[in-house]
Amino acid sequence: MSQTFLIRAIGQQPLLNFGELWAFRHLFYILVWRALRVRYQQTVIGVAWALLQPILYTFVFTVIFGLLMSIPTNGQPYPVFVMSGLAVWLFVAQAFNQASASMFNNAHLINRIYFPRIILILVAIAVALADFLLAFAVLVVLMIWYGIVPTMGALYFLPMMLLAVMTILGLSLWLSALYVPYRDVGHLLPFMTTIWMFLSPVIYPSTLLPPKYQFLYALNPIVVVIDTSRWAFAGGPPPQGWMVAVSCGVAAFLCVTGYWFFRRQEATFADVV
Amino acid sequence: MSKVALSVSRLGKWYAVNDLRYRRSLSELIIQVFAAPFRRKADVRSIHQAPDSIWALRDISFEVQPGRVLGVIGRNGSGKSTLLKILARITTPTEGAAELRGRVGALLEVGTGFHPDLSGRENILLNGTMIGMTPKEVRRREEEIIEFSECADFIDTPVRHYSSGMFMRLAFAVAAHLEAEIMLVDEVLAVGDEAFQQKCKAKIRETALNGRTVLFTSHDMDSIKKICHSCLVLDHGKAVHVGDVDEGIRVYKEICGIPLQPPLNT
Repeated sequence: MSQTFLIRAIGQQPLLNFGELWAFRHLFYILVWRALRVRYQQTVIGVAWALLQPILYTFVFTVIFGLLMSIPTNGQPYPVFVMSGLAVWLFVAQAFNQASASMFNNAHLINRIYFPRIILILVAIAVALADFLLAFAVLVVLMIWYGIVPTMGALYFLPMMLLAVMTILGLSLWLSALYVPYRDVGHLLPFMTTIWMFLSPVIYPSTLLPPKYQFLYALNPIVVVIDTSRWAFAGGPPPQGWMVAVSCGVAAFLCVTGYWFFRRQEATFADVV
Repeated sequence: MSKVALSVSRLGKWYAVNDLRYRRSLSELIIQVFAAPFRRKADVRSIHQAPDSIWALRDISFEVQPGRVLGVIGRNGSGKSTLLKILARITTPTEGAAELRGRVGALLEVGTGFHPDLSGRENILLNGTMIGMTPKEVRRREEEIIEFSECADFIDTPVRHYSSGMFMRLAFAVAAHLEAEIMLVDEVLAVGDEAFQQKCKAKIRETALNGRTVLFTSHDMDSIKKICHSCLVLDHGKAVHVGDVDEGIRVYKEICGIPLQPPLNT
């Protein structure tokens, strides 16, 4: 097996190297396996914990925002309404936090072995996707309970999840690279997540927003992702086409610039982290 | 003409001694990033002359033919680990370049990525994959690894229950079974009690003399003499000798201030 490695000085690394990512796919699988295995290793209830979170959230939100505050949901039953948003949101929140902290959390690996560091971000996102599947199962149960049939929107759900993944990827490429030299990023993450949740239609419908702010709102790609989820699984209206286009643009911008920045900084992670 | 397995050209590595130099203010960082395409090369150099920084390696060049063993010796702080880390691609050089033809295996540390909640067997898979083996290779060598580590009785218990000795033996066992065309080995890896240390050293020796290209660093001149075909001596980041092993050892002893003595015959 003959491979040639060229080691070049800082600042002269090639930008794109998909062949290398493929070569390290085993490491990716193993790290995902490790995260999932360790997570449920010593807890007696194990997997049930991953189900408990969405169930509890749905329950609390339904009582407070659905019953006590009566947030208008365009006729959809509140539990299904909120769960269809929560399933997406819990994934986004977890993936975003874990991926943005992935360089910092894995400093001991970065210092000792060579591998494309972006793998750590991909692992964090993959692990969050595994939990998403469980939350989605809860959503399905609720849909059956309320007798709701998925609409055509379900076809668009997978592409929308891809959009969510791209957004998270772009943001975490920026933040994880910044976290290495600037530790305050770690303090920012939970705060950013909370604000982001309120800027997304998790507990309220996006139709609540006055039309003149819709462009600003569309800059948050999670809006159209959750809207699509509501359209597909909770009998809500489909998102507007132009908003989807804006969101895709934002996600693409984040990914491209994020990847460029990350690659530039990657060479010095081991020295600084 | 046989192709050189490992060639290093004018390698250099600069470090900021003061941690804060890396952690500039966020605004400075943003300006630096956006100004990069417009900055001339001369400006980049100036940061490297800053007072609280060192060149851990400077202007290192050498070549290793396939199948030969190069010993790297020098005092602590001479740049040996830095050189190995650069060749293992853990850190990136500030200047220069290197070319390695073949799969690279680095035995510089053991136990990377071991997770206390996973069993010995699971950690073998985890660690093996991390240091560059494919899961298939790891499974193929699993029994050998377990046998070498002498931890067979506890292989399925979580490693948090292992003694530190068992932990290191298992870690070394995984690393020792890594097979690559180019190996970077630090003899510091030989751990454990006397018996196991001898086992480690023997395994390292076996790896080195197996026809692979090896970069070997050690503080034991005996090992160097026995295994290496040629020798690189580092002093404060500079290469002071590249070539003959005995001559290299002499240069090294001079640097250390050890007077050359005939071996004691008692």
